[in-house]
Formats: sequence, C-alpha cells, structure tokens
Amino acid sequence: MPPVYLSRRLFIIFIFYLMVFGMQYRLVLILVLLSFKLSAQQKQFSSDDNGKFIYYEVVEKAAGKDSLFLRANTFIDLYIKSLKKQSTTDTSIFAKGVMVIDKTILVASHPSGEVNYKFTFEAKDKKYRFWLTDFEYISYGRDRYSNYVPTTTVATPLEKTPGKLSAGEWKDIIEAAYSKTAKFADNFKKALATNQTEKQNKKKETISTKKW
Amino acid sequence: MKKFLTAIFSIACTTCALAQETPTSPLEFSGSVDTYYKYDFAKKSNIPTSFVSDHNSVSLGMIDLALKKKTGKASFVGEISFGPRGQTQSIPDAANNNSSFHIQNLYINYDFTDKFSMTAGYMGTFIGYEVISPVGNFNYSTSYLFTNGPFQNAGIKATYKFSDKVSLMAGLFNDWNLYSATRGVSSIGGQLMISPVEGWTAYLNVLSGADPYGYGTIEDLTTSYQITKAFKLGLNAANYDMADDAGGYAGVALYPQVAVADAVTLGLRGEYFKTKDVGAVLGTAYTGLTLTANIKSGGLTFIPEIRLDHNGDKPFTNKTGGAAPNAGQFSLAAVYAF
Repeated sequence: MPPVYLSRRLFIIFIFYLMVFGMQYRLVLILVLLSFKLSAQQKQFSSDDNGKFIYYEVVEKAAGKDSLFLRANTFIDLYIKSLKKQSTTDTSIFAKGVMVIDKTILVASHPSGEVNYKFTFEAKDKKYRFWLTDFEYISYGRDRYSNYVPTTTVATPLEKTPGKLSAGEWKDIIEAAYSKTAKFADNFKKALATNQTEKQNKKKETISTKKW
Repeated sequence: MKKFLTAIFSIACTTCALAQETPTSPLEFSGSVDTYYKYDFAKKSNIPTSFVSDHNSVSLGMIDLALKKKTGKASFVGEISFGPRGQTQSIPDAANNNSSFHIQNLYINYDFTDKFSMTAGYMGTFIGYEVISPVGNFNYSTSYLFTNGPFQNAGIKATYKFSDKVSLMAGLFNDWNLYSATRGVSSIGGQLMISPVEGWTAYLNVLSGADPYGYGTIEDLTTSYQITKAFKLGLNAANYDMADDAGGYAGVALYPQVAVADAVTLGLRGEYFKTKDVGAVLGTAYTGLTLTANIKSGGLTFIPEIRLDHNGDKPFTNKTGGAAPNAGQFSLAAVYAF
C-alpha cells in the first residue's frame, strides 16, 4: 500500500495548490479526482472454489520453516484481541479474527460493523502461504449510551449479493474489508520478514547531550 | 456561489481521501435525523404516549449529534439533540427552561481493568426496552411503559463484567430525568445482565428512590432473543410501586419481529399496561397493538406504522369529541442515521 498512500498524499497537495493558483483547471481536476477514486476502488477479493471471498498469498524466499512458524505465532499473540488461535500443527496455524469497519464522515468516523474471518497459515522451508476467508459481516447500531454495538448475532457472508436497497452500502463494506485485509496482510508479511530475536537484542539508539 | 460549491466539493473530496489514510479516527462522530407524518383516526392527537404527537402534519422528530472519544482507559460521550422529540417532548422539558436543546448523554467512563469500569454523568436510562432516539427503537411510536418510566438518569455507576455472559452494574443516581438533583443523590439502582445462549440477552433492573412523582421502586425485565436468522423476540415487563401506596403501574410488552427480506423487517408490539389504584381512585388498563415495518436503505430507515389502542374506561375521544374506548393512528416516519 505505500505507493498508493504516497501518491494519494501528493495528489491532495497538488489539488490544494491548483485550487489556489489555477481556477480554470478545477473542473478537470475534480474529474481526475473522481477517476483516481475509482481506480483506487478497483482492488477486490478473489473467490475460492466454493465461491467464497478469499485473500490468498504465497511468499517465496522467506526464512526457515521453524523461524517462520515462530514469527507467525508471535504475530498472532500480538493481535490477541482481534485474532484468536484455534489450532496449530508443526507447520500451520488456524485462527479466527475480527476487524471493525468504520464509517467516515469528513474527518471523524464511527464503527459501522465488524467482519469476522478465518485465517490460515502454512509454512515450508524458505516459503509460506496464508489466506483469509469466510468473511462475515455483523452490523453495529448505536445503543442507549451512544456506543456502537452489534445489532444482531446473525452474520451475513460478504459474498452474498444484497438487494437493491442495500447495494451501495454493501459495496462500501466490501471495499473497507478488503482494505483492512490488505493492511493486515502487509503487517503479517513484515512480521514474518523480521527476525524478532535480533529486533529485541538490537540496542535502541540513544542520543547523549553530555558531549558535543 | 459556484466558487463556494466547487471549493466545498474539492475540500470534501480531499478530506475524504485524508480520512481514508487513517484506519480509525480517535474521535467518533455520529447522529440521526427523523421526521414523520401521522394521521389520527379521531382527527386529533389521541394516544397519550411520548412523541409522534401531531395529527395530519409533516412534523419534526429531532436532530441528534453525538461525539465519543477514548484515550487509553478513559472515554467520554457527549450527545445532544434539537427538535421536538429531543427537546420539548423529552424530559427535562427544555422549553420551560428556555433551553433550545436536550442532552441525551453526557458522561465519562474509565476502564480500570478489562472487567471493571466506572461511569459518571447523565446517561440514557438502563430501565426499559425503548429509548428516546428513534434509531434505538424498532417502532416509531412509543409504549406506555416507556412513557411512564424513566428516560434518563444522572449518577455514578460501576460495572463488573464476570464474562461475556454475565455482568453486574450498581450505581447511585439523582431523581429521574434531571441534569442536577433536587433531592440529592437519592436513588440506588442495579442491573444484572445475563446471556444464557448466543443471541439471547436479558437485563434484570431495579431502581429505587426519588422520581418525578415522589419516591418509589421500579423493577424491570428487558430481554431479546434472536431465535432464528429471521425471527427475533423482545420482551419488557415492569412493575413500579410508589411509596405510601401513592400509585404506580405494571405492564408487559412483547416485540416479535420477522425479517421478510434483506432490507425489510416487520414487527408487532403488543402491550398491556395498568396504572395502580390510589385510595378510592381505581387504576386503568390500556392495551395497545402496533404493527410496524422497517425498510432500510443505507442510513435511511422508512417506518410505516399502524397502531390501535384500547381502554375500557374510555379515556380516548372519537371524531365528535365524545369519550371512546378505542384509538388508532397511522404514521409514516423517515429516520436517517449517520
């Protein structure tokens, strides 16, 4: 995601610049902005053999099998509140997770629901794969204390086609779920590419003001 | 004007893009707006429950704005409303105090641990099934149990969560529905939450102390159970006894709801409500049947509703102004939550 993030930032600065200095280009820019938004929304889940949404990645040129397994375990332990381990073997981990979807209004937002998913990790020597599937959405509502809480225990599979009335909202939910999944995957890959022991042993760089 | 609109549009797009970069905002902002049309079969307002008061008029509910922020273990909620439902028709009566708004929630919470938290301020009441905000209710009109019970409580409460299935709350509160106490911190209240099976949650509530009418004790059961994917059943039962046999009420309301399509749910509210005898004055009993549909599209919920009430003591009026045992109304409401 970093390139998208960066380009988006630059694009925003560019828009502001031209808003001030180039009035005649505004309409064109707005159109460009809209096309930019459309292109940013194109990424979406793939489907598995059963027609379910899946996020699947294979990573080659990785560390040894034992290291990968250890790093994956450490990562899941860090995410303990949103990712619960269900079972493990010598080379695989199966977990269930939840991600909260937010609805954004200008600069503020609030949770609009949660997406539950199943996470699987399998390691071999020098490579590993992981996938997230069985995405199910539970909508949130505001309770009497103005807190957002699940309004139902009935979860809806993300791949289900909603009726016309809910189509727009459902599309936003799928996009938000994909975005969060991709970010989760990035974090997971970073964690598995990092030697945790070395990271812990590495001395934190300090700055001394005593000598100069 | 063109320049202004272009600027607003550009800024909105930019802000949207900025907000997308941040996964979660530390400040939660939400709210709702509602409006309705009601036609009373007696051609005048007849059913004495809260809100939905105007006959043959496209009328306002309220605009409700809520902010929430959590920093570490501390959080606050501030929720304010404007408009008849959230202002003059809510308690305290904002119009009498020359106020143009009504605070729905204003409290601070601190999570001492994952299991134990304390909250202080002015909060939606923990008693009952229905609430002031139309977003929190299935039916647009309200029950007799809601109308006669507390709306809000100011106080301090402690909650201990034994597990996801059991929690206990105990607190000290002012008299009902007041920003500041008139008789001191005079009420004690508690709530036991149990969730025996997935989808079923029950709240056993008690509140004893000062209320708008004097002193009294209210016991309340509020529960709902998602029995199947499409069918949900809610129940509210309450008993209120005023001190010195000065009256009170008892009642029960059942809320079956069935989802008939992705965006459409039908629900019924069947209620029995009886006021208690006060000396020689006998109590009176109401029954009410309300059929409601919720049709959702994004943040919008469209709520057509028909309601029929009965009381053998003829407290209602008919078209000619005479006493009548029955009352009925039809309403269409639109509620938008954001």
